[in-house]
Amino acid sequence: MSNTDSTAPDRSVPVLEARNIVKTYGGVTALKGVSLTLTSGHVHCLAGENGCGKSTLIKIISGAERPDSGEILIDGVSHPFMTPKKAIQLGIQVIYQDFSLFPNLTVAENIVLTSAVAQKRKTFSLAQSRPRAHAIVQELGLTLNLDAYVETLSVADRQLTAICRALINDARVIIMDEPTTALTHTEVDRLFALVRKLQARGVALMFVSHKLEEALSISQDITILRSGDRVSSGSATDFDRRSISRHMTGRDIDESRVINPPQYDERPVLEVHALTRMGEFENITFDLHRGEILGITGLLGSGRSEIAESLFGVLPAESGDTTVNGSKVHIRSIRDAIDAGIGYVPEDRLTQGLFLDKSIADNMIASSLDKYRMKNHLLDNKRIARTISVFFDKLHIKAPNVSAPVRSLSGGNAQRVVLAKWLANQPQILILNGPTVGVDVGSKEEILTLLRAEAAHGMGLIVISDDVPELVSVCNRIIVIQQGRLTSSFTGDEIQVDAIQERMSA
Amino acid sequence: MKTTTRWSPAALRGANNEGILGLIVLFLIIGMTAVNPDFFSFGTFFSIIRASVVPMIFALGVLIVIVSGGIDVSFPAIAIFSAYTTVVLMQTSGMDFGVLGVLGVALVLGALLGLINGGLIARFKLPTLIVTLGTQGIFKGVLLAYVGSRYIAELPASMANFSTMDLVSIGDGSTVASLHVLIVPVVILCLLVHIMLRRTMFGRGIYAIGGDTEAARRAGFSVVRIQLALYALVGALAAFGGVLHVTLTRSANPQDLLGTELDIIAAVVLGGASIFGGRGSVLGTVLGVLLIQLINNSLILMGIPSAWQRTAVGLLLVIGVGIQALGARRASKKVIVPRETVVPS
Amino acid sequence: MSEQKSNETRQIALQTARSTNQRIDNVVSSSLARFHVSHGVGRMILLTLLAFVIFTIAAPQVFLNPLNLQNIAITSPEIGLLALAVMVALLTGGIDLSVVAIANLTTITISTLYSTIAATDEGLADSLGPVIVLVGFVVGLFGGFINGLLVSKVGITPILATLGTMQIFNGIAIVWTGGETLYGAPAMLNTVGTGAIAGIPLLFVVFIAVAVIIAVIINKTALGSTILLQGANPVAAKFSGIRTTRTLMSTYLISGALAALAGILIISRNPTASADYGSSYVLLVIVIAILGGTNPTGGFGTVLGVVLATLTLQIVSSGFNIVRLSSYEYAIAQGVILIGVMVIDQVTRNRQRSAVLKQRKLKVQLQAKDSNQ
Repeated sequence: MSNTDSTAPDRSVPVLEARNIVKTYGGVTALKGVSLTLTSGHVHCLAGENGCGKSTLIKIISGAERPDSGEILIDGVSHPFMTPKKAIQLGIQVIYQDFSLFPNLTVAENIVLTSAVAQKRKTFSLAQSRPRAHAIVQELGLTLNLDAYVETLSVADRQLTAICRALINDARVIIMDEPTTALTHTEVDRLFALVRKLQARGVALMFVSHKLEEALSISQDITILRSGDRVSSGSATDFDRRSISRHMTGRDIDESRVINPPQYDERPVLEVHALTRMGEFENITFDLHRGEILGITGLLGSGRSEIAESLFGVLPAESGDTTVNGSKVHIRSIRDAIDAGIGYVPEDRLTQGLFLDKSIADNMIASSLDKYRMKNHLLDNKRIARTISVFFDKLHIKAPNVSAPVRSLSGGNAQRVVLAKWLANQPQILILNGPTVGVDVGSKEEILTLLRAEAAHGMGLIVISDDVPELVSVCNRIIVIQQGRLTSSFTGDEIQVDAIQERMSA
Repeated sequence: MKTTTRWSPAALRGANNEGILGLIVLFLIIGMTAVNPDFFSFGTFFSIIRASVVPMIFALGVLIVIVSGGIDVSFPAIAIFSAYTTVVLMQTSGMDFGVLGVLGVALVLGALLGLINGGLIARFKLPTLIVTLGTQGIFKGVLLAYVGSRYIAELPASMANFSTMDLVSIGDGSTVASLHVLIVPVVILCLLVHIMLRRTMFGRGIYAIGGDTEAARRAGFSVVRIQLALYALVGALAAFGGVLHVTLTRSANPQDLLGTELDIIAAVVLGGASIFGGRGSVLGTVLGVLLIQLINNSLILMGIPSAWQRTAVGLLLVIGVGIQALGARRASKKVIVPRETVVPS
Repeated sequence: MSEQKSNETRQIALQTARSTNQRIDNVVSSSLARFHVSHGVGRMILLTLLAFVIFTIAAPQVFLNPLNLQNIAITSPEIGLLALAVMVALLTGGIDLSVVAIANLTTITISTLYSTIAATDEGLADSLGPVIVLVGFVVGLFGGFINGLLVSKVGITPILATLGTMQIFNGIAIVWTGGETLYGAPAMLNTVGTGAIAGIPLLFVVFIAVAVIIAVIINKTALGSTILLQGANPVAAKFSGIRTTRTLMSTYLISGALAALAGILIISRNPTASADYGSSYVLLVIVIAILGGTNPTGGFGTVLGVVLATLTLQIVSSGFNIVRLSSYEYAIAQGVILIGVMVIDQVTRNRQRSAVLKQRKLKVQLQAKDSNQ
């Protein structure tokens, strides 16, 4: 373990090398002989769709899982029996997507605790540890309250805490798993500045992301996985968004614009006037017609999600009017919103949208139970069964039967179950927040087709997303939210990816 | 539903509301003294402390388990099992192990029983409440069916002598207030557990597991080893409490202690430990136990039937936890997005 | 490139193998799913039969004696109703530790009212029987209401809320009775307690009838579905428009009502009431609810499973009596059965999980293959 040399990065021997890693779970191969090389001072982007084996590879490198065959070499030395503790001792640090911090401990404790474990310490003294935590925070030029409990921190500060924790162990390899998903635009810039600092210190970084532009802008090397295979790797300059996504999915994505004209009735199905929730969004005014798909976009933290949650009663607005079909509604709770004919497909599908251990059938019916109550207060199970089978077929949910637990479904199929839950409730307005996040490409297209079909049947849809090409392909109109305010609106021919993206980050 | 609201001055309040609890205890003492000046006497204090000795030891064990994110209802069974079995062993062998010998045997027994809990919990990842619910039945059953169900009135000489040993006796001939010598090991244990939880990696590991088990595993903690060790430790603590109980009551009754588990858990929760794990302190637990004993004592002094004790403790628990829950609810309504709002650049 | 070509043929072969595999997997997983639904019940039927057969073989004359079977049928109902009360709370991901205390409050109310009225006019007291019993029931229901208030409105964790109310209700009962046992109950209750229909004790008939009602509520009504969904994922329940407060309040009202009914059965069987009756029941009924297949973290459980678990434990208890094993050994058996079942559950669940995982990975790969073409 020689981690003393902080001199010029030595490119002859890679810091970390994974050779022909094979990993099978219960007879299914998750990784089919993947190789990867991390060099000092370089950022290596690992790209791939959900389920391609990215997380398995991270687990193997971090010692959480053992490969069936293949080896991990650190400084050219093979380590066949890696454990999390040993990986940390060797200078490998993983910043997990969920950060894996201890919410009940202070920032300082979180920063020093893992290194204390790695050093096989028996005792722990915060008084002695705090200066170390302080030093690393200073070195990175951060402002973090060392004595704050992690559970009170903002997501960005948690991320910074996780980074400090990774660095205090003299990390030589830092793996960042989807580090930007929870960050705002400015926070991402700050993170990238930090990554460059780390590079300069000779740290080898692996950046795992599904945001392609972002990944391309920070990385020098790139490896693309698909279904457990390394399908391509090379210098980042040789790739662009299109080629990466082709490698990731194995085909060109069709993002062509297909829209149907809305029905311009006397009054729009939804009118929102001067909706305000201080600190989150202000004075938001827009309307939505039957058969229209309205896109709401903006950077993370711009307030786009909060507007949706407010319309759905999760975070009731403080002022402003909402009118559905010409009559004013007061949405103080989720129930009010549903009664007004509004449905909501949340962004956080796993916790907010689905009952993972329950069957597909139970999930589909969860929002519309009251519709099936008979006069004697019992549920009309025949009618329920009919509804379920209709949507099961209509949405092409790939599952052995409707009693299969949702946990066993892929992201795309799980999202269809959430969609079915709301369609079964026959809302007039359906709000979808990030409808294709974590959904494989095949399902993504089908879901967009479904949305178009619902619009054609007269439903009003609002799609909230920062995936502008997706919005462009499906929306009649797109509005942009910046710092809680509606700053621009695009219709017809104005709807162009570049123009919108420019507006978003302006 | 973790209670995270922290009003300022936070330092005074303590991480787990120890400050507030301390104030309540203080007010109660002042109030009781105002109502009945006799309350403020060595006699009262010594008797409160004497009554707290055994619950305090149990509470320390319960605290450790709760901090790790579990619930243990088997500790009274482990306590009486270890203590009673040790006494029976001495009787049947005709040997007196001496005070240290008794403790040694009982602690080993307790640790072994605790290890059974820990093994089931760590190996099969079963819910702790269910496991300890099952083992308490088994421990209790084995004790009563195979070790003995007889009330033993005469303790071996070493324990009997110990049971009447006082640390200090204050007062004139008629009313003597005595502080039992057993307060010494209890204080020492409180300090040791405090140091263990705060200053050792094992203790920090317990908090880490209670905060986020998966994160603890990723950070390199051996979750299985920590769980095994902590349940063994808690078993040993329970056994220690059992021996103290037998010593103080000067008899060994295998039916004793059973059914007190929920009272102790209530005391620890009142002391600020979070039932979800990751939070709690020895100071808070000590205050929680003292508060309950103080209330019991006050009720008696105020001439309120001792039967109200249970109700009072229950009310205290519901009010204490209820205020925290309402606070958390309000806080969660106010601070919705724990995310930095974009600062205009 | 020939290499690519051979690669392709290999992939096609692989794919056919995979789709066959998937078909087999589908069959397995759908049968697994069906197994899962009736998992608790199937296992409990087996356990109940096993217990029955063992003691029939051990002591056929005594065990199969109608008197003994009747005895099982008389002692099961109160415990069974308490276990159902706990189960309903468990389904929402909560727990109710106060059920025994509530049952005792009901018995004490009934006994006190009856004795007070009977002290002046015994005939009147007996004729007022239904009213007295109703008041007792309402007192129990009120206990459930307090729990519901604390859990749903105040937001206290159920285990702490009901730990607190258990102490409060029990304390009130102790003060009320002065720690003594009260005697006396309306005559009509005696009829229920000793009556029988076709040799089946009336108490047992009441138990089964109530169990059926609870089963209907849970499986056939919107409330039941919301209770299960609330337990499966409270956040998703909220986002699906389920009224959490109302669901939780209903849950603890049902739980309180069941506890009150258990109290009525207790005083029917034996016209006495005391504050510390059934103090060992608190943990026993949790054991029964979980043994019956109720998921301790919520969302899953069946009434039939809990009823069978009640019968199993009562059969074991009575059987142990007959083969001269002590109540202490019965306690051991309870613990061993509970932990044994949980361990077996865990082991099989792990296997199921890996089966599900396997299927899912396969599907992802197949989809990727599909999109390759």
